[in-house]
Order: sequence, then structure tokens, then C-alpha cells
Amino acid sequence: MKNTQSELDAYERMKPGIITAAGFLGDDVRSLRDIIEADEEAMAQYGITFEHAADFLKFLKAAGQAGLGEPITVQSRYVVTVGDARGKLPCPWQDGLFHKNSVMVTDSKTDISIIYSDLSIHMLSVHHFCQGQGSPFRLNPEHLALLIK
Amino acid sequence: MNSFLIGPAVSAAITMVLALLITIIDKLVNNYGVVTIDINNGKKKLEVKGGSPLLLTLAGQGIFVPSACGGRGSCGACKVKVISDVGPHLPTELPYLSPDEVKQNVRLSCQIKVKKNIDIELPEVLFNVKKYKARVVSMRNVTYDIKEVLFELGNDVIQFAAGQYVQLVVPPYDKVKESVQRAYSMSSIPSDTRHVELLIRLVPGGIATTWVHTKLAVGMTVELIGPFGEFHVHDTPKTMICVAGGSGMAPFKSMLYDIAERNLYPDKEIWYFFGARTKKDMFYLDEMDALQKKLSRFHFVPALSEPQPDDKWQGETGIITDVLDRYIKEHIGKDNGLEGYLCGSPGMINACIKVMTAHGIRENEIYFDKFA
Repeated sequence: MKNTQSELDAYERMKPGIITAAGFLGDDVRSLRDIIEADEEAMAQYGITFEHAADFLKFLKAAGQAGLGEPITVQSRYVVTVGDARGKLPCPWQDGLFHKNSVMVTDSKTDISIIYSDLSIHMLSVHHFCQGQGSPFRLNPEHLALLIK
Repeated sequence: MNSFLIGPAVSAAITMVLALLITIIDKLVNNYGVVTIDINNGKKKLEVKGGSPLLLTLAGQGIFVPSACGGRGSCGACKVKVISDVGPHLPTELPYLSPDEVKQNVRLSCQIKVKKNIDIELPEVLFNVKKYKARVVSMRNVTYDIKEVLFELGNDVIQFAAGQYVQLVVPPYDKVKESVQRAYSMSSIPSDTRHVELLIRLVPGGIATTWVHTKLAVGMTVELIGPFGEFHVHDTPKTMICVAGGSGMAPFKSMLYDIAERNLYPDKEIWYFFGARTKKDMFYLDEMDALQKKLSRFHFVPALSEPQPDDKWQGETGIITDVLDRYIKEHIGKDNGLEGYLCGSPGMINACIKVMTAHGIRENEIYFDKFA
């Protein structure tokens, strides 16, 4: 599938050292369109929508903020730690600026851990971008489905 | 010459001429020559080669403006007030500036280039900031995700106030192609001018903390820049109420050891509330206990928000703001007045401010070191 100019530009900005030091692509060698399409298929296969997943991540973040920077257990299942860093990050698609933060969630039921930020939630819901394989902030569709269930 | 070579040869010659032309024009147009940076109305004047960002130009002259991202324009920390005209604000600066700062021509020093003589204002404390070559002499895990790292400064010395921070320069590693800088409060005692101790908590996916936790080792030499920061103990008789969690312990360790060593502020009662989730997140209990024995006016209140049965925890439980609220109501004397000292995430700081102001502590007497 051919990438649009907007995707080609966003892909360049996702490389290490442009917006974040590590970038958003991990060690994935696929094009941005291919990454997005594969994850769209996977999300459909697991029966979850990007909007639902984004809302769930927003809920965990809001609940985790009660821990005041320390880990806190949410719904007797998820251990959530919300950390903040200085500054803001622009979206690679250049459609917004997001506070630099990191939310770490460990699910005691499945032992799955994910890390995400305000920018991750935006890219997931608006651009259907879960980040490349090997990116520390990748939101693997299978993991999202298991976390939500 | 064979005729089929004429085309490529002409094309190569044209390319060479164009490249030469671009190089000459670049030298002429982008050669800003030597320009002057006037700091604080003539207090310091620097003659520098023009053309580079203000942040890097100042760093090249030994003046280090705080920056958390190392000049990539993503932290908004390197603000400098520019008096002379350097053109309109750039789109890359505006998200980080308040309307008032824009009006006062505050600029992000990493985004504006020094192309002509420029007049700026800087806090004079920045003139004392230095870059240090620091060797790691010890590292230990104080919890599963917090490392205590001790650096030796060689023949150099650092003069700092307890509560200040340094910037750790993290070199490129693995997929990280550029050096980054991160701020960490010093936990060492100011009287030990040849060492700097930092407490560094692993932030999942964090560039700097991942490097510290997986690459940094005893014997390695790194760069530290500092000291920075306004967070310090205020010389008043008011009771000091400190709140922290995790690596927010660092500035308080430095302050408390400094107070105990020099018997500073002898009229000040000191209460220190330290929150953690479980016992494995808690640390320095023995150190704080020893400090309580040495300094009778110091009271340490560690609290766990989710103690586990194995923890056998006998101390306070609950979210640290609830414990704080309870203690201010029931245990802390208010005759001398109260003042707050906080170190942590914006959420933690805001929650503590709410509790403290509800108990009558004035907002301008709540001092903090926000992580963000």
C-alpha cells in the first residue's frame, strides 16, 4: 500500500532523535502504512476499537494519578504508575502538542505490562498508530485486548 | 572523446559549478562573523562566532542555561529574556511561553540563533554553573528501581545549597543517536564539595534513566552541569513540613544532613512525610531513624499506601496526603507557624498544596521542586 505524503513526513519525524531520542518505530522496518494496516487488522481480529482502547488507557491514567507519582492498584487488578517529565511533545503528524509523561500499567491477571503517554493515546485514537515493533511505548493490540477483557 | 561521454561530463561539470556556487553563497550569506552577547546590561560581554543557537553559544562560553532536552526544543526549560530585536517568536517557541513571557520577549535559547549583536538578561546564579567531569565511584540499589549513584569530581569542587540539582549528560547509546540531559536533585551533603550523590529512579522507556540503570557502571566518567535551582531551606522559625515519594527523597536527604551537621535553624521543628506503595518501594528507613536520634526536632513519618501482608508494616498507612492531613490536625504544633517543602510530580505537589492551604499554610510559603 502506498503511503500518503503526510505519512511519509510523519514517518521521518518518528525516527530517533527528531521528536524523542528513541523515536516511535523501534526496530520495525515496515512502512508507516503497513504498520498501521497490520494493527488495524489485529484490533479488528481481537474485537476492540481504537476509540475504546484509548478511552480505557485514559481511564487507567486518571485512576493512577491518585497514586501521586507512586504505584497504585486500580480495580484490584492493574498496578498503575503515572510519571511526569518536563516539556511537551509534538505529534509526528503535527496535529497537536502533548505533555511529556509516562503511564506504566502492569496487569496482575495476565502479567502484561504496557507503557504509554498522552501522545501515545492521541496517536492510537486519531491515527490508529500503535508504534513500531520494539518501540518501548508500543501498544500491542493483543496486549490491549487482554488488558481490557 | 567518445560522444556518449559528452553528456555525463557536461552534467558533472554543471553539478560541480552549482555545488561551488552554493558553497560560496553559503559562506557569504551565512557568515555572521564575530558578534557580541551583552548579558545583564554590560555585566558580562562575550565575543562569539555568530550563527549557532544561543543555548549552545552560551554553553561554549561556559554559561549553562538549564535545558532538560539538550536543545531539541521539547522541554521549554531554556528560557532567556532577550532585550534586543532577534525577530518574531518562532512557532517552535510559542507552545512553551505564556502570553506575558511573549510580551516580555522571553525566548527559548535553543531556538534562536545568534546572528548579530544581542542583549540578554540571565539570573546571575548561572555564572556559577560549571561543567564537571565526574567519575562514578559507587552505585547501589536502594530499591528495585532506584539507584544511589556517587560521583567523584576529581580535583574540581562544587559549591551548592542543599536542595539544588545538576544536569546529567547522557551520551548516545544503542539506538539513541544524540546526547540528552536530565535534571536530578543532589542528595549529597553540601560540605562534601568533591562528591555529588544522585538518586535515580528507573522511568520505563526513559532514555536517561534506562542508561543509568543498564549502562552506567563504577569507574565510568560522565559530565554533570550545575548547580541549578531555587529549592532550599528558608531561614525562618516556622515548622518545616516536607513531603516526598520515591527519588523525591534526594533534596530532603541533602537538606536534613546539612541541618544536622551544622545545627542550622535551631528553632525549626522538622516533619518529613515520605510515601511509598509497599515496603519494597521504601528506603533509607535506618538513615532517617539515625537522623531522628541525632536531631531531636526532626520527625520522620514514612507511610505505605498499599502495605502487603509480608511487609509486616507497623507504620502509617494510606496515601501520603491523607497521612499529612491527619498529622497536621492531630500531631504538629502550630505555634511557630508552618511552611511546606515538596518534591515530586505535579499531581503530588498540587494535592499537597491543597491539603496544606486547607490548614492555613500560605501558598507563598509552600516551596517545591516539581519534577515537570
